[in-house]
Amino acid sequence: MMRSGVLRLILVRLAVAVPLLLVISFGVFSLVHMAPGDPVRALLGTRPSDPETLAALRERYHLDDPLVVQYGKWLGQVLQGDLGRSINGNRLVLSSIKERAGVTIYLLLVSTAIVLAAGIALGMLAAFRRGGRLDRFVVMFGVFGISSPAFVTGIFLLYVFGVVLGWFPTFGAGRGFLDRFWHLTLPSLALALSIMAIVVKITRASMIEVMDRDYVAFARARGVSTTRITLSYILRNALIPVVTAGGIIVIGFLANAIYVEVTFALPGLGSLIVDSVQRRDIPLIQGTTLVLACFVVLVNLLVDVIYTLIDPRIRFSRVES
Amino acid sequence: MTAIASVTTSQPLPLLRVRDLTISAGGHAITTGTNLELARGETIAIVGESGSGKSLTAKAIARLLPPAVTAAGSISYDGQDLMALPEREMRQIRGRRLSMMLQDPFTMLNPLMKSGLHIAEMLRDRPEFRDRTAMNAEVARRLGEVGITDPDVAERMPFQLSGGMSQRVAMAAALARDPELLIADEPSTALDVTTQAEIIALLKRVQKKRGMSLILITHNLRLAFSTCDRIYVMYAGSLLEVGSARAVEDDPFHPYTLGLLLSEPPAEKRVARLIAIRGQVPRADEVAGRCTFADRCDWAKDKCRAGMPPLIEQAPGRFGACIRRNEIAAEMRDLRGAALETATVALSAPPSDKPLLRAANIVKEYSGRSGTVVRALKGVSIEIGPGESVGLVGESGSGKTTLGRTLVGLETPTSGAIEIAGIGASKFSAMSAVDRTATRRTIQMVFQDPYSTLNPRHSVRRSLTEALRTIGRFTKAERDARVAELLREVSLPESYAERRPSSLSGGERQRVSIARSLAVNPKILVCDEPVSALDVSVQAQILNLFKRLQQELGLSYLFITHDLAVVRQVADRIYVLYLGEIVEQGSAEEVIARPKHPYTQRLISSIPR
Amino acid sequence: MSLHIESAKPEAGTPRARISLGIALAFIVIAIVVFCALFGASIAPDSPFTQRLEVGDAPPSGQFLAGTDLLGRDVFSRVIYGAWTALVGPLVVAVGAWVIATVLGLLSGYLGGMVDSATMRWVDFMLALPAPLIAIVVVGVVGGGYWTAVLVLIILFTAPDTRIVRSAVLEQRPRPYIDAARALGISKTRILFVHILPNVLPIVLAYVVLDFAFALVNLAGLSFLGLGVEPGTPDWGRMLFENRTILFTNPVALLLPAFMIILTAVSMNLIGDWLFERLTR
Repeated sequence: MMRSGVLRLILVRLAVAVPLLLVISFGVFSLVHMAPGDPVRALLGTRPSDPETLAALRERYHLDDPLVVQYGKWLGQVLQGDLGRSINGNRLVLSSIKERAGVTIYLLLVSTAIVLAAGIALGMLAAFRRGGRLDRFVVMFGVFGISSPAFVTGIFLLYVFGVVLGWFPTFGAGRGFLDRFWHLTLPSLALALSIMAIVVKITRASMIEVMDRDYVAFARARGVSTTRITLSYILRNALIPVVTAGGIIVIGFLANAIYVEVTFALPGLGSLIVDSVQRRDIPLIQGTTLVLACFVVLVNLLVDVIYTLIDPRIRFSRVES
Repeated sequence: MTAIASVTTSQPLPLLRVRDLTISAGGHAITTGTNLELARGETIAIVGESGSGKSLTAKAIARLLPPAVTAAGSISYDGQDLMALPEREMRQIRGRRLSMMLQDPFTMLNPLMKSGLHIAEMLRDRPEFRDRTAMNAEVARRLGEVGITDPDVAERMPFQLSGGMSQRVAMAAALARDPELLIADEPSTALDVTTQAEIIALLKRVQKKRGMSLILITHNLRLAFSTCDRIYVMYAGSLLEVGSARAVEDDPFHPYTLGLLLSEPPAEKRVARLIAIRGQVPRADEVAGRCTFADRCDWAKDKCRAGMPPLIEQAPGRFGACIRRNEIAAEMRDLRGAALETATVALSAPPSDKPLLRAANIVKEYSGRSGTVVRALKGVSIEIGPGESVGLVGESGSGKTTLGRTLVGLETPTSGAIEIAGIGASKFSAMSAVDRTATRRTIQMVFQDPYSTLNPRHSVRRSLTEALRTIGRFTKAERDARVAELLREVSLPESYAERRPSSLSGGERQRVSIARSLAVNPKILVCDEPVSALDVSVQAQILNLFKRLQQELGLSYLFITHDLAVVRQVADRIYVLYLGEIVEQGSAEEVIARPKHPYTQRLISSIPR
Repeated sequence: MSLHIESAKPEAGTPRARISLGIALAFIVIAIVVFCALFGASIAPDSPFTQRLEVGDAPPSGQFLAGTDLLGRDVFSRVIYGAWTALVGPLVVAVGAWVIATVLGLLSGYLGGMVDSATMRWVDFMLALPAPLIAIVVVGVVGGGYWTAVLVLIILFTAPDTRIVRSAVLEQRPRPYIDAARALGISKTRILFVHILPNVLPIVLAYVVLDFAFALVNLAGLSFLGLGVEPGTPDWGRMLFENRTILFTNPVALLLPAFMIILTAVSMNLIGDWLFERLTR
């Protein structure tokens, strides 16, 4: 009963996600093609502009077709796993993305771990010590965290730990596991700090709300053990809003990952998209945007499934209806 | 067993003895010097209106006060001082020796836990229930004790249970470790009338069977008399009277207790006027250092305000906190006697053959989840004559509110005909503008919740002038005069015009909301539970206001309520609505004295007696 | 980029003591920033555009309080001038987004039906978009710099803001005072603007201030990626972008604008939280 409900949810969400991805990719596609300036010029890049090259470009990117047809042809290629070639360097877009993805994935994983562990723990502690010194500190931390995007946090971390103390390198992703760890510590921290504030804030607020609920008071009145009240009563209920905010958090991670990669000069997907936008590298913009959008949509789907699993009210009402 | 043995000794040690319990928050006193005793197997009630401190007293006994609230004094439980216990040891006491249930059944259970688990988690530490089958059998047995025989309930999530069912599961969970004392904080207030009676009967049955002590926290004096051995009457943070239920009911020592008794509308007869307590319930720190009730007491003298009268034994086993007790006892008795003897008054209006409002075969359907159709009203017909007061009695889910909203045009019926003062008013949006305006001026509505019935951003004057501008243009002088007149009609001082709703009490807000509906000079008022959210003493004032307005203005009422005693006071005729259908109708006297339909009979037998 | 909007909802039980002192400081900070934005030209010690290639990226000195950047421009003066873009853009974004959101939210929340479902479908779509990515791509590809960025942010902010207004309206709509107004025959427009709007506006006002902070951070972010303001404009985000390379030689050229971004955003967030607390309970 439960499994079929979750399965149905996934199918429904996929049914929404696919058109969403189409709209995003079509939007970016038409934007790039309708933007001021001749697309052929942009596609030409630094190559000499002799008539043959121009004609070849027009031919290769189907520029003489109507926009929708161009998009259809591009989409057809994408579905076959071909994202085209970049203008600068004439490399396969897909291999550029593969090459750059490692750093971004590493960054996201490490900072997600930090955010989930430290963010939830801090939010809980603050809620338990409500009004106390730790709570005040955490609330202030939340305001600062929400007010400082990763590039600002990153610059301060770079200055203090990279320049003044000299403990960490100031640019590059490093080679090999240990070197990479060493290089990516500050960026992961900058990324984690900027997102952690939201998680801490939501966790704290929802913990405080749940602790005031009747069912917690009733559990205490029955002498249910503190551990059980904390875990099964307070934490489980308090985490629902945190999971609900998952979508916002995922998008936040992505935005700040872009900033962090640029701040620390890391070769990741974020800096790739910024590079391609700055150089107006059309195939690269389209490919990278599509991959990142897919990532966001998939993670959101995952968040939705988790939400359904932990909140039976959703699960049951969906199954029953 | 042992409990009985100790009660029979000459000087039984009470199970619970509370001495000088003072609760305060942020430097403000909430209760002062409460003393309380409870024997093994005894049932006591702490009775009080909102703000009396009764709930916090109960929480203080279980040491479950909210973080910002502190308590001082001593709480001796079976010889052990609970106030001195570290929280760790207190946790061992809770559940095993004393347990507590809260008011709202819908918020008491963990929404993410199956209902059976609430009971099972209490039994986990017992080796005999290690085995899963044994545990399930025990959970089923415990549910059986609270009257749940459907084994499937243990597997359900709390949001799938009705209020009464949740309250039963909660009771089983509270009792799972077999405590000697159960504190029940308004356990039936949030439930429907018939379910209320079932829960109270169940509570009483379980208490007797287990020989358990019970503290019932309630605002309902009648419920306390019918359920408990002894009564503690609390008001604005202090105890005013203590005594056995029978003795207090027969001869209350304190004017407040008498006032509460007289404020309760009797279900068995209709009186011309309820004897209400004037004013409203104060906060404890507003009346500190004197008799807390003096400002509302008809017998108060200067000496009542000179200091706080102590609670002293005024007769064997009877305590009172009125220093004028001996001087006024006779007067109080006379007043009570007069009230008891008041005869039923006749109908306010003779039935007329030309009804002012006629609704025929009203059907209202809502589309529920995924295409299902919910039928809130299944062909209801009612009539209201000019100057007639009609009661519409039903529980939640009966469709009574839907019917009221349909009549004033807030909802459109799916089918059926409504005629108001000769104008067809089934579908307000399809009426001509003239007819619609005329109908709006004929029928108006008074709502239940006093806290959101007024626009929080508008002053009283603004609320009333908003209503006035729907009936025409007035000069400022005319408007001001009319506002003053409206306030006078509902017995509020003119100065209230500049007040914001947030500075008004519940009763005052309800008065303003009545004045607002009177602004357009309507002929019919649809009153949807207008007094159910108010304290008993204030409820009587508002009921009197309704009676007076009817006489002065010749209004017709459709009085929607779940409370038969209330409806008995204002209604000439009654319709009983059950699951969207009228199951019984007739004169108020007839229906209440000789109910014919089984549902009406159940409603009437549910009145605490 | 509407990333924090809903999660930044002010929370219950914020310690009181912080508020009075913190709020006073926050107002002072904002007052100073506003003063710099309006009268920057008369208080800045130097022109923000004068280049001194021979000086280069010098550390702070008596003449240049915050040192100079690669082109030898006075960092301190540039930070003062930068207050202008730090105020105007966010203000336009916050007010613009909330004006649109208030109208849409009122209509969809009160009218319901087709208007509501159309609006909500649009909101859901916008919220599912990876907004920051879209902003970078759109501003980068379309060009137009600062004001394109402002416009894109207005569009992206409007969606979540509409949802907030709508749910505030939905909270008021079933209340008896609205029913009473309807039963009296008060017109829909009047109910919407005289009865519901005053109860929704305080929430909107508090969120305008909170949105200002997000808009500031997001506009600075785009400038930091080289996509916002025109090259050479004295803008805090842009300064971070242009001075990235001189972290070792004149760190103040980065730290001062970074600090100003945080300080302004923190102040606005504190004021927003405080307003929310004051106006909604």
